[in-house]
Amino acid sequence: MPTNMRNTNAEPTPQMASAGVILNGRYLPPPADSDGKLWVRTSTLIHADPLALYERWRNLEKVPTWQEQIERVTVTGERTSHWVMRSGDKTMEWDSEILADEPGRRIAWRSIGGESENAGEVIFERSPGGRATMVTVLQEFRMAKLASAWETIVGRNPKQAIIENLRHFKALAETGEIPRTAGQPHGPRGTIAGVKKSLYGEKLPTPPGEDRKAG
Amino acid sequence: MKALCWMGTGKVEVHNVSDPSILNPHDAIIRVTRTAICGSDLHLFDGFIPTMEEGDVLGHEFMGIVEEVGSEVSNLKRDDRVVVPFTIACGNCEFCKKNIWSACDNTNPNAHLMEAAYGYSGSGLFGYSHMMGGYAGGQAQYVRVPFANIGPLKIENDLPDEKVLFLSDIFPTGYMAAENAQIQENDVVAVWGCGPVGQFAIASAFMFGAARVIAIDRYPERLELARSLGAVTVDYAEEDVSVLTALKDLTGGIGPDSCIDAVGMEAHSTQLQGMYDNVKTALMLETDRPVVLRQAIQAVRKGGTVSIPGVYGGLLDKVPFGAAFGKGITMKMGQTNMHSYMKPLLGRIEKGEIDPTYIISHRITLEEAPEMYKVWRDKQQKVTKIVIDPWA
Repeated sequence: MPTNMRNTNAEPTPQMASAGVILNGRYLPPPADSDGKLWVRTSTLIHADPLALYERWRNLEKVPTWQEQIERVTVTGERTSHWVMRSGDKTMEWDSEILADEPGRRIAWRSIGGESENAGEVIFERSPGGRATMVTVLQEFRMAKLASAWETIVGRNPKQAIIENLRHFKALAETGEIPRTAGQPHGPRGTIAGVKKSLYGEKLPTPPGEDRKAG
Repeated sequence: MKALCWMGTGKVEVHNVSDPSILNPHDAIIRVTRTAICGSDLHLFDGFIPTMEEGDVLGHEFMGIVEEVGSEVSNLKRDDRVVVPFTIACGNCEFCKKNIWSACDNTNPNAHLMEAAYGYSGSGLFGYSHMMGGYAGGQAQYVRVPFANIGPLKIENDLPDEKVLFLSDIFPTGYMAAENAQIQENDVVAVWGCGPVGQFAIASAFMFGAARVIAIDRYPERLELARSLGAVTVDYAEEDVSVLTALKDLTGGIGPDSCIDAVGMEAHSTQLQGMYDNVKTALMLETDRPVVLRQAIQAVRKGGTVSIPGVYGGLLDKVPFGAAFGKGITMKMGQTNMHSYMKPLLGRIEKGEIDPTYIISHRITLEEAPEMYKVWRDKQQKVTKIVIDPWA
C-alpha cells in the first residue's frame, strides 16, 4: 500500500513485538506444543503503569500472594531464587534464574534444576493508543510430577493455571484484591458437589492477595 | 442465619446456614431488610441456567443495613442503609472505566467458565450460578457484598425500603432497556412482557419521550398495570390476535420505532413455533426459546431498534437475521450497567416521578418463599412482584 494511503491515526506498523505476537506487521500464532514441551501465551490489559506492574512481578517473594499453589519463593542471589509449590499434600521445589531483566519492559526466566522444567517471559507494553498496559506471558514447561492426567482433571490444568495467575495479577494490580468465594455460606451440598467444585475450578485455594497471610 | 437455597430444578428450600464473613478487604456484610424474587430467578428455578449447585443461596435483589465493613471500605460504615446492585463491579478495569459495569473484568472468580462459553467473562452476579461467579445471594438474613466501595447506593432519606428496593435490579434494568431502545421524542415503542422489568421499561419509555407504548402480555393483572401507566395493551393469547398485525394496526402500518424484549429465554407462545421450541429445548438442541425475539425483529420498523433486557443464555434457533439485515435495524442488549443508573433513578423516586411499589402484589416471609417460587412460575394468584422480609 502506498504510504500516502495510510491513516494518520494508525500506529507505526510494529515490525516486531515481544513474545512473538507480531513480526513485520503480521500476527504470529503461539508456538505449538511438541515433544512433551507445552507452550502457553496469554495476555491481559491492565490499567496501571508498566513500571509499577514490572515491579509487582519482579517482587518474587510476594509471588505467593497472587500465584496459585506457590507456597514460598526465596531470593537466593541477584538473579536466582528458590520456589516451593504445594498441591494437596505434595510439594515440588526448583530453582529459577532470571535471564533478562528490563525494568518497565520485560522479565525472562528459566528453571535451573529441581522438580520443574520451565522457562518464560513476561512483557509489559503500552497498549495501542497508550491508555493501558498490555501484559503478555509466554511460558514453556514440561509436565512434572504434580501434573498427572488425573490432577489436571480434578485440579487446574497447568496451562489454565498460567492464565489464571495472570488474571489474579491483574485483579490485584487494579483493585488490591483477588475475587473469591471460598468460605461463604451455602446450604447442604449434593452428592456430586466435589465433582462440580472441580469442574468450576473452585477446588484450588484462591491466592490471598496483597498483605494478607497465605493459606 | 436463614437462607433460601437452590436444591435442584424446581426445588428451593430454606436452610439454616453459617453467617457470611468478610473475605476480602473491599467486602461488607449487610443485614438484609428487604429482598425480592426476580423473574430471572425463575430461570434458575426452571433449571435453564447451567452451573448451579445444590445449596447455592439465591437472590440478587436486596437491600439492608451495613453490619460490618472490610479494611479497605471507607465510604460505608456500620448502620448505613444501602441498596446493592445485582452486578458486582470493581470500578478500576477497562470496562468499569468505560461505564460498562456489567462487563467488569475483576469480579468473577470463575471467569474461565464464562470465557469457555462466551469468549469473555462478564462481571460476577449475586446468587446466579457458578459461571457468574458463584456468589451467595441475598434471599437470606445476611449477605456478603464484595467491592462494597463501588456498588452499594447509600439511602439517606426516610423513604420506605419498598420504594427503593427495585433500584437493585429491575428499575435500572427497565430503564436501560428504554435507553437502549434509542427512543426519540414522540416515538412508538412496543414492549413484550409486562412483568416487573417490562413495567419499568414502559414507565421509562415514557420518560424518554415515547408518545405511545404498546404492551404485550397474556396476564390480565399485568396488562392492567401497563394500562395504568398509559400503555395500550395487546393480549397475545386472545383469540384472533396476531401480535404482528396488532403492531401494524397500532402504528399506521410501519411498525414500532423500538421493540423491547422483556421476556427472554423462556418465552411462551400460543403458536406452532412455541411448541417447536419446547421440543427443541427439551431435546437440548436449543437452550433458549426465542419466540419474542423473533417477533420483535419481525415487528420493528425499518431502521428501528430492538432492545433486549430479557435474559438469553445460549444457542438460539431460527432467529430471522435476514429480516434484521434487510431492515437495517439496531439491536442493543446485555446485563444492566447498574452503577450508572442507580443514583439518577433514586433521584426520580425522591422527586416523586415514579413510585416503584405499584408492581408489588405479595409481601411474604422467607419461609413462604419456596411456595411462592412455584406460584409465580405457574402464574397463579395474580403475582406481579414478590417482596420478602427475611426477618418476619
